[in-house]
Amino acid sequence: MRITKLLAPSLVVPALFLAACTDDGGGDNGEPALPDDEMVEGADEDAPGNEDGDDAGSSGGTLAEVRDRGVLNCGINGAVPGFGFVTPEGEYEGFDVEFCRVVAAAVLGDADAVDYTELTAETRFAALQAREIDVLIRNTTWTSSRDGSESGSFTTTTFYDGQGMMVRADDGFESLDDMDGTAICTLSGTTTELNLESAFSARGLDYEPLTFEDNDTLREAFLAERCDGWTSDKSQLAAFRAEWPEEEGGSEALTVLDETMSKEPLGPVTLDGDDEWHDAVHWAVIATIQAWEFGIDSSNVEDFLDADPEEDPEIARFLGIDDFDPGLGLDPDFAVNILEQVGNYQEIYERTVGPDTALGLEPGLNNLWTEGGLLYPPPYR
Amino acid sequence: MSDTNVPTSEYRPQASEQPPTRTTSPREWVRLNLFNTWYNSLLTVVLAPLVGYVIYRALRFVFVTARWEIIEVNLTNFMVGTFPRGELWRVWGAIIILGLVIGLGLGVTSRASAETARARGVAAGTSWSLVARRAAPALLLLVALVVFVRTATPLLLLAAALAVAAGGYVAGRWIPPQHRRWMHIAVVAGLAGSYVVMTQFGGVNLAHWGGLMLTVFLAVGGIALAFPVGIIVALGRRSKLPAIRVVSMLYIELIRGLPLIALLYMGWLILPFLLPIGFPTPGRTWRALIVLLVFTAAYVAEIVRGGLQSIPKGQYEAAQALGLPAWKMMRLVILPQALRNVIPALVGQFISLFKDTSLVLLIALTDLLGVARRVTQQPEFLGQGLHAESLLFVSFIYWVGSYWMSRESQRMEQRLGLGER
Repeated sequence: MRITKLLAPSLVVPALFLAACTDDGGGDNGEPALPDDEMVEGADEDAPGNEDGDDAGSSGGTLAEVRDRGVLNCGINGAVPGFGFVTPEGEYEGFDVEFCRVVAAAVLGDADAVDYTELTAETRFAALQAREIDVLIRNTTWTSSRDGSESGSFTTTTFYDGQGMMVRADDGFESLDDMDGTAICTLSGTTTELNLESAFSARGLDYEPLTFEDNDTLREAFLAERCDGWTSDKSQLAAFRAEWPEEEGGSEALTVLDETMSKEPLGPVTLDGDDEWHDAVHWAVIATIQAWEFGIDSSNVEDFLDADPEEDPEIARFLGIDDFDPGLGLDPDFAVNILEQVGNYQEIYERTVGPDTALGLEPGLNNLWTEGGLLYPPPYR
Repeated sequence: MSDTNVPTSEYRPQASEQPPTRTTSPREWVRLNLFNTWYNSLLTVVLAPLVGYVIYRALRFVFVTARWEIIEVNLTNFMVGTFPRGELWRVWGAIIILGLVIGLGLGVTSRASAETARARGVAAGTSWSLVARRAAPALLLLVALVVFVRTATPLLLLAAALAVAAGGYVAGRWIPPQHRRWMHIAVVAGLAGSYVVMTQFGGVNLAHWGGLMLTVFLAVGGIALAFPVGIIVALGRRSKLPAIRVVSMLYIELIRGLPLIALLYMGWLILPFLLPIGFPTPGRTWRALIVLLVFTAAYVAEIVRGGLQSIPKGQYEAAQALGLPAWKMMRLVILPQALRNVIPALVGQFISLFKDTSLVLLIALTDLLGVARRVTQQPEFLGQGLHAESLLFVSFIYWVGSYWMSRESQRMEQRLGLGER
C-alpha cells in the first residue's frame, strides 16, 4: 500500500523528465550558456562578411557551424599542470586553454565564447570524430598515425616538448650513459615507457623499470629513493622539480639531464576533411607567433593600430588596417581580437608555463627562430 | 485497505512474562568474546595492536598531518564544478525550494504514519532519538562540509535552507488528511521549479554542472526514473502478449550483456548519429542520465521480476476473486508485496548506481570524483602528494550517501515487516 503511494509520484517524474528533455533539447548545440549578447551580434555581422570574402565551401562547414552556434567547443585536458586545469574559482586556465581562447577570439571575436570539454587520452579522437568538439587542444603529440588513421589534422605546433630524465643532483649522473644498471621510474602504458626502452637499448645500457599508474605515487617512490631516474615529458618533470619539498633540498636537489629521448610536438587538431576550418585554426595560432615576431602584444597593439600603415605594410596587413583579406574566412582584424583579448605567444607562454610560473619552463625550443627556437611563422601576405 | 484488517489490540506480553535480560560486565564480555579459546586469545593479542595502530595512523592523518587546505580552497569546485560563480544564487535557490518540498513531504508522511499507528493502537509519539538517528548521516555530511567553509555567506544560506525545510515540515504536519494528495503536486512543482531556476531565464546549461551537484542529479534522477521504468519492464516480461514479452526480454538481456562504460561511450558518441536528422541531440548530461536510466532499469526489472515470482498464486486468485481488474490487482495486491520482498536487492542496485555515476568522468563530465582528480593539478597544489586528502574527502561523501541509503532501506524493511510476515 505504502509503496504504491510512493510509486504514484515517481510515475509522474518520467513525464516531467521527458518535458524537461525536449525543453532543453538543444543541449550543447542549442543556446549558449554564456549570456553574451555581443557574441551573438558579432556572429551575425560575420556571416555576410564571410559570404563576400570567401564563398568556397563555407556552407555546412565547421566554421559556419561555430559562428551560427556562437560558441567554440574546445576539447582540453582538465588535469595537466600548466596546460589545462580548473582554478578554485571554477575557471579553466593553462597553455592549451589559452589557445582555445585564441581560436574563439579569431573566429567569433570573443575569447570567452568557449565551451570546454574535458577529454581523456582514450576518448579525445573519438570525440573529435563524433563532432562533439570543434578543435582538440589537449597536449596531443603530432604523430603520423594520428594524422592518418585517427583522421586528425594537426595545425602548427604550439609547444615543443620532449621526453627527459630527472635525477638527484647528488648522484652525479651527467648523461644517460652514466645510468647503467639503475632503476628508472615511469608511468605505465605510455609511450614514455617504450621510448625509455629504445633509448637505453640503443646505448647498450641495462636498467630496471619501475612503472606507476599516476604521477603522485611515482613521486612518492622517487622521494623514497626507490629509483635513480624519473622519466617523463620535460615540461612535467620541470613542474615536479619546481615543487620539490624544501626539506628534501628544494628544486636544487634535482637535475633534468640535457638529453631528449623523444620528440613531442604538441598542437591543436581539427577533423580531417574541413580545410577551411583547419586553416582558420591554423592561422589563429600562427598569428600569436607572428605578433611576437613583430613585437606586438596586448599592451601595445593600440599603438600599432594608430601607426601609419605605410610605415610597415606587413604589420598593416596583419592587423587588417588596410582591409587586406587573405581569404581565410576570418575577419581582416582577427589578429587584433586575439591580441586584445588573449595576447601573443610570448605572453601566453609566460603566463601559463614560463619561468615565473609553477612549471618554470625556460622557452628552449619554444622560442622564435631568430632566438634559436623552432617558432617560424609563415609570412602574412 | 490493510489498515482495517489489522487487529486493534495486539497481544503484548506483561513485564513479568518477558525473558530476563542478561547482563554482562565489560570484563566478562571481553573474556567471553575475545579470550574464550586459546586461538581466539592469540588472534586478539596479535590483531589488537595492529588494528589499534592502523586506527591511530588514520586518525593522526585526518586530524594532524593531512593538509586540508586543498579542500577548503576548492570546496565550491567539489560542490558544483565549473558552474559559473556568478550564477551560484541559482543553486542556492534550487536548494531552498527542494528543502521546502522535502520538509513538506517529511511532515505529511510523519503525520500520516502517526495517524496509522494511532489507528492500530500503537503508542505513537515523535521519537526524537529516531529522528536524530535517521538524520545522523546527513548531519555528519553537513558538519564535514561546514568545517571547510571559510566565508559566512554559505553558512547563512545553509541555515536559511534548513530553516525553510523545518518550516516545510511544520506545515506538512499541519496539513489535514483530505488535502494530502496535493503533496504529490507540490513535490513535482518543487522539482520543476528548482529545474527552472537552475536552467531557464539565462540559467546554466546542464553541460556545465559538475561536482557533487552533478553526482546527486545523476544518482537521484537515475533512481527516480529507473524504478518506475524497471517495474514496467518487469511487468512487460511477464505479460501474456508475446510482442511485449519479447521486447522486454530483449531489452533486459541486451542491456545486461553490455558493460556500463560501453553504454556510456555509445550514448555519448554514437547516439547523435542514430537520431533522425534535424532531431535535436540532447546535451551530454542528459545523454549520461538516459544511459544510467536504461542500464539500471534493466537490473531493476529483473529484481522486480524476482519479487513478482515470489508471490504465491493464491494472491492473484484471491485478487481476481474479489473482482479486481488487472491493474488494480497489481497495484493493490501484488506489487506492494513483491516490492517489499526485494527492497534489499533494489537498494543495493541504487547504491551501486550512486557510485557508478563516477564513470561519467570518461565521457567528459566532471562529477565529484572528477573534481578530486583535477584539483591536485592546480599550480598551488601541484606535486605535493595531496591525492590522499582529496580522495578521502570524496570517498567520505560517497560513503555517507551509500550508508544513508542502506540505513533507510533497513528501516523500511523493519517498518514493512520484511522477513517477519
